[in-house]
Amino acid sequence: MLKRQLYELVKKEFILEFRQKASLGGVLIYVVATIFISALSFNKIIAPNIWNALFWIIFLFSAITICGKSFARETAGVSLNNYLNYKPLIFISSKLIYNFLFLFLVSLITLFFYSWFVGYLIDNFALFILVLLLASLGFSSVLTLMSAIASKAENNFTLVSILSFPVLIPVLVLVLRIGKQAIDGLNWSVSYDFLMILSGINVISVVLSILLFPYLWRS
Amino acid sequence: MNKVILLFLFSIFSLITNAQNAEMADTFRQEGKIYVVIAVLAVVFVSIVFMLFIIERKVSKLEKELKNKAD
Amino acid sequence: MKNNWYKILSVILILYTLIWGMLGPVPRLDILNETIRNLYYHVPIWFAMLFQMGVSVFYSAKYLNSNKKEDDSVAFNAALVGILFSIPGIITGAFWARFTWGTWWTFEDPKLNGVAIGIIMYLIYFVLRASIIQETSKARVSSVFNIFAFVMLILFIMVFPRLTDSLHPGNGGNPAFGKYDLDSNMRLVFYPAVIGWILFSGWILNLFNRLSILKEVNNE
Repeated sequence: MLKRQLYELVKKEFILEFRQKASLGGVLIYVVATIFISALSFNKIIAPNIWNALFWIIFLFSAITICGKSFARETAGVSLNNYLNYKPLIFISSKLIYNFLFLFLVSLITLFFYSWFVGYLIDNFALFILVLLLASLGFSSVLTLMSAIASKAENNFTLVSILSFPVLIPVLVLVLRIGKQAIDGLNWSVSYDFLMILSGINVISVVLSILLFPYLWRS
Repeated sequence: MNKVILLFLFSIFSLITNAQNAEMADTFRQEGKIYVVIAVLAVVFVSIVFMLFIIERKVSKLEKELKNKAD
Repeated sequence: MKNNWYKILSVILILYTLIWGMLGPVPRLDILNETIRNLYYHVPIWFAMLFQMGVSVFYSAKYLNSNKKEDDSVAFNAALVGILFSIPGIITGAFWARFTWGTWWTFEDPKLNGVAIGIIMYLIYFVLRASIIQETSKARVSSVFNIFAFVMLILFIMVFPRLTDSLHPGNGGNPAFGKYDLDSNMRLVFYPAVIGWILFSGWILNLFNRLSILKEVNNE
């Protein structure tokens, strides 16, 4: 029953997203255009450091555009309807899952175009994908909760980025380091500590989102 | 990189633990000027506490006035 | 008077640490030299800040369960006192770092980064409060954010620095102060200093709370 509801909600989110072609297309065009500009400006000769930093900065901003607006659609009527029909746990889980999947998808697309236009430098591809996965999870969980908080305040979208930046910065720093290690093709054991910390932040931010969301919803 | 930092820190700390004759302000203490510093510190802190005390008294007074008004 | 014992105690303890912290014997260490005495003044201020943040998050959680306006007001005041204590904490830390590590601020140290991020988070807490007009929704939303911020603060300054390299003692394989140079003489000053500053911050919080109650009554 609950699983079904969860599945339906996630499906609904995807359908809504793909129906509004403007928002999906906007994100994709943003990603491709940024990559194209960076390809033009760096002219393909690029140091691993800069490659890495540029990739994650593009990732950061696409994450904010994707996950930051996840509660912007909830007008008063819609949220009342959701409030009556679903449990908060199911609702926040559906948002988390949807944001995570969508962000991961977009980041894979970003990686594809980035490698194509700017150049492919990754040595340890599996590690890089793992980092991408963990980063998507961390960014989406933090941004979802912050988007829920900001939806209760008036000036929505700027507030999301302000609220989530302090938590995103440490995640970004960690991700940059592991990403660099993946590019250099270092041994897995080198990245082990950082991966543990990153998954630690992820677990805690997911748990906090799930625990705190019911209180936000009641108002 | 991590190992280099660790090595660096380790060497510093081994230096620290070995040095029993590090330079301290011994003459300064012998001349008794440390008491001047302590006196200044104490006066500064006591005056801060005094200011807090004044605020404390003012707040209590306001609280009492409110209580009388309510009665 | 019976509720004011901790205020007097805090003043006595801090005065004691000011005097005996200067006079008392300390280990003779290179690089640190006499600055080791900063331990009595710099570290307790951070403890007081953390204590206030803890009080703040406790009252935020209490608010979410009780929905009493007073709880939220205490949480706000405690966060304010905590931020006020973090400012001297940062400045004294920068001075100490300049004359021992050779730099005012280093981005290599996870504890410094964690503290900076924690302070930014609490500043954002105030921005968030200012941006919501409706009272109940302001209290609820900021309580939620406060809990989130506190967990992240603890994570960034207490847990992660232990896993990576840090210049602070007790992190990344560096022995803690307690292990090698916080000798029994220093402990006699350090622990009273911590208790004294925590109680002192409690006094300031008490004043803030009473003032906001007065303001509340005045508005009605």
